[in-house]
Amino acid sequence: MPRPLANGFVTQRYNSAAIALHWVTAALIIANLLLGLTMVRLPISPQKLHWYLWHKSIGITIFALTSGRLAWRALRPHPAPVAMPTWQRQAAAVSHALLYVLLFATPISGWIYSSATGVQVVYLGTFPLPNLVPKDKALADTLRLVHIGLNSLLFTVICIHAAAALKHHFIDRDMVLARMLPFNRRRGATR
Amino acid sequence: MLIGMLRALMVALVFASGSAAAAGVVVGKSEIAFTMRQMGVNFDGRFKQWKADVVFQPDALDKSRAEVDVDLGSVDLASAETEAEAKGPLWFNTPKFPVAHFASASIRNLGGNRYEIAGKLSVKGITRDCVVPVTVKADAAGSRIAEGAFSLKRLDYRIGEGEWADTSVVDNDIRVHVKMVLAPPG
Repeated sequence: MPRPLANGFVTQRYNSAAIALHWVTAALIIANLLLGLTMVRLPISPQKLHWYLWHKSIGITIFALTSGRLAWRALRPHPAPVAMPTWQRQAAAVSHALLYVLLFATPISGWIYSSATGVQVVYLGTFPLPNLVPKDKALADTLRLVHIGLNSLLFTVICIHAAAALKHHFIDRDMVLARMLPFNRRRGATR
Repeated sequence: MLIGMLRALMVALVFASGSAAAAGVVVGKSEIAFTMRQMGVNFDGRFKQWKADVVFQPDALDKSRAEVDVDLGSVDLASAETEAEAKGPLWFNTPKFPVAHFASASIRNLGGNRYEIAGKLSVKGITRDCVVPVTVKADAAGSRIAEGAFSLKRLDYRIGEGEWADTSVVDNDIRVHVKMVLAPPG
């Protein structure tokens, strides 16, 4: 639904499902980064095993949510970009594409890594997922580095993504961030 | 401490020759392995060092016997970290209890190629009755291959104490697989 802005321009918010998927995914990614960094430092214990289970389950959830997001995006296209310099729009397109790629690649790398270490992923401790590769120590060592690398890249792109959103909100004072917020308080764009 | 070191030394001496001391058992082709289930996932492990004294005479089962000593410190698991944990005080506690011992008391013919070996298994200072069903086959070279599996309730032997006693994390049932290749007599 187009919403008139104070300056008379009309813009559109993201639809509610897209907004929900965005923020749920964001929360899960932050939680899983912290969980992942913490759990690997724990001495082996039932708690550590539970944290691994949760880390893997959250990762698989992110993968599933991202699939859902892309499908939803195909059905309900995003609103047109907010007016901004071409290079910024291109940079945004590249970083968004990279985020989508990483939201698939990072969980998948973890899944393959787990398979290579010989530990089958059991989603939520209930649903066993197929092993993607047979147990292979050398491959597991490589995939560990790949998983860490993809997470580092994901974290970096998220920081750029968030910094850009904040810059648009507080410096450019445009609708880039507001149209993705669950509760839009911006004048002229309230319900 | 000293006793622990002496025990460790004894184990080292006993197993020093690998498992070559195994009478009549072709160690290289034999195996003592197990499968444990941890939060819905199966993990396979095995023991690299053990010795077995097996006498098998199908027509004289009363003269047949099987005795196995397993060096628990030789446990082979997914990673060095889990192996260290398995040898630790909550699991095998190998400094204090380095060896698991099985001794048969009777062997019964179940018909066909199937036999039942009843005996005592001692782990961690706890001895309990243990029954191992095996199937015996002959290979082309005349060796007999005895293969069997049994479920061991790990909590019966206090394997995995304290926080690890929770069977929702590690199942109580540990499936133990034994394969002994017996050299042809003479």
